[in-house]
Amino acid sequence: MHISFLLHNAYGVGGTIRTTFNLAGALAGHHDIEIVSVFRHRDVPALGAPEGVRMSHLVDLRKKSPSYDGDAAEHARPATVFPRGDSRYRQYSRLTDARVADHLRSLDADVVVGTRPGLNVQISRQARRGPVRIGQEHLTLDSHSYRLRREIGHRYALLDAVTTVTEADARAYRTGLKLPGVRIEAIANSVPEPGIAPADGDSKWVIAAGRLHKVKRYDLLVRAFADVVAVRPDWRLRIYGGGDATGNERQTLLALIGELGLYNHVFLMGPVNPLEAEWPKGAIAAVTSDRESFGMTIVEAMRCGLPVVATDCPHGPREIIEDGTDGRLVPVGDTAAVADALLGLIGDDEARHRSGRAALAASQRFDPSRIAERHERLFTELASRAPRDRSHGALRTTLHRARGTVLDGAYALRYKAADVIRKGKPA
Amino acid sequence: MTVSAERQTPRADCTAGPDGGITFDLDLRRGEAGETPELLLRLRGAKRTGGRGNTLRLPLSPLGGGRLRAVLPGTAAPAEGRWDVYVREPGADDDAAVAVEPGIRDVRLLMDRTPETGRIAVRIPYPTVDGRLAVRCWVRSPHAEAGPVTFDGGQMTVEGTLYGTRLGDDARVEARLTGAPDRVCRVPVAGKEGTFSFTLPLDRLSPGPVTEQQLWMLWLLPGTGAGEPADGVRISRILDDVWDRKNSFVYPGRSAGEGIRAIPCYSADNDLCVRLVPDPVQAR
Repeated sequence: MHISFLLHNAYGVGGTIRTTFNLAGALAGHHDIEIVSVFRHRDVPALGAPEGVRMSHLVDLRKKSPSYDGDAAEHARPATVFPRGDSRYRQYSRLTDARVADHLRSLDADVVVGTRPGLNVQISRQARRGPVRIGQEHLTLDSHSYRLRREIGHRYALLDAVTTVTEADARAYRTGLKLPGVRIEAIANSVPEPGIAPADGDSKWVIAAGRLHKVKRYDLLVRAFADVVAVRPDWRLRIYGGGDATGNERQTLLALIGELGLYNHVFLMGPVNPLEAEWPKGAIAAVTSDRESFGMTIVEAMRCGLPVVATDCPHGPREIIEDGTDGRLVPVGDTAAVADALLGLIGDDEARHRSGRAALAASQRFDPSRIAERHERLFTELASRAPRDRSHGALRTTLHRARGTVLDGAYALRYKAADVIRKGKPA
Repeated sequence: MTVSAERQTPRADCTAGPDGGITFDLDLRRGEAGETPELLLRLRGAKRTGGRGNTLRLPLSPLGGGRLRAVLPGTAAPAEGRWDVYVREPGADDDAAVAVEPGIRDVRLLMDRTPETGRIAVRIPYPTVDGRLAVRCWVRSPHAEAGPVTFDGGQMTVEGTLYGTRLGDDARVEARLTGAPDRVCRVPVAGKEGTFSFTLPLDRLSPGPVTEQQLWMLWLLPGTGAGEPADGVRISRILDDVWDRKNSFVYPGRSAGEGIRAIPCYSADNDLCVRLVPDPVQAR
């Protein structure tokens, strides 16, 4: 099959990019795979291009490139096809609308895969008849704005399938949106086998990793670790990850570490790439987020042989960890429960080693080859049906798109009105 | 618009061994036959010409699968500093050697080391800020390894481990102000069986007002007489996998007198220091 991925920016760093590269690389063994990046701002993909995959871009944002598009007049005009509710809306424009449309109208592939809501919407509106249309959801339905939820509730009807990364989110799509005929399937993110031997479980370090953001609740982990240190001062905690542009979480955490007197036990290590070599330095991993759209770091730690103590938050952890076997699930926001779970594994060498081995074995189900097989099955099944038997037969597509145009006008008016009311801005 | 995104730069996975050796596995593929390239380690900041001790040459030999491996043996004695890693193709000049990118660095065996020897040799493979592979080396004999830093009011106490020397009766720690050789603050140091501990009242660093940042370096003078290094022993923290702990080993500040804040910290070279800064809150 010829499978074409549409990615926001294949040249940056991020979970969606990494997971798309993993999938594309795993599929490339048996299929003709391309990744089309809407934007390109550097010559070489920061995460390294997957082997055997063709890469191309639609809008060139490399300032020194002769085909630089950043100054195009159309790029200064706001997008009308790419949905306003997508958090990347400001980066899109009339130029991206047109370039993506040209690409989708001429795309001669068996399957086209969108990797964020805005691009899924563009696929549903602009892809020519023929290719199977897949919309991947790497975040979660409930993390989207009201405006985006309503937009995709309407637009996704012309997709053949929506894939989510957790069963919980798939349920939300099935129950929260009316998408008759659209296949909704949960397929977890993949994590490759690390290129490093697993942890031996004998070090006295707890490892956590992820960008320093409030939602990760490192404050909770640091407070819990104060309780750990009170009992086991020989154990220490490393938190890997860079600061986040949205706040000053690093300073907040440093102040907390200072206040609790943990500066000999808790360390903010900064961003590290690749991260995989850091996990085996520890014997236990901790994830104390209030929410996770999937829980990539949990799988990464498990693939390095670490049992993970994680909050039982929406959406991913409970679909990854088997409580008591390969890790521990604790209630969200409960410092004492985090400390107890950590101390349980710290105090019981046998249980820690056993859980680590179980984590190593259980996490093999996230291997890119296995995950790619599930995507492949879905693509093959949908591609074997004629387009008229899928959700977007000719008549239905025409009707839906016509109705969409009418609704667009109505929504646009309504948003304008709302803007006037909210901001007192001239219409 | 299609591009080939082939990587031009060789990449090396590194494994640090228990004896201080480092194994470099490169992703360059070569057949069994023919000349193989060599790995060059160059001491940063050293003069290129004539400096024999400034370049280490390691042969690269083919592994199974055509990958190439070089080994820096634990017995090698690279000087203290930062060594940049290059690959030189056979027949090419040293100047034409290309920089190597860091791959996966397995340095878990460097964690929390307590060597048995008096002479300390540390080599940590690390990624430079511009994305190249380098090796940070320290050679210390004797060596004072800083451990926990604690506070009691305006006093800071440092505990550590001493290698290659022992404390005499008149052992002391000196805080020396960078850029002002006459500004020295001495406190006694205690210890036994290869450990040391000292307490520094932070207000003793600042007899006068502080208008701009001051950096005080900490040195241990064992006071054992004849064997004592003239300058003393720099107090550092180098016995783990952290090649630069300036931003990860962060301590809270304490008042060191009116309008002055003292903050223990590490330099980018992992030397323990105390930073004095004007405290705008107190000075008001």
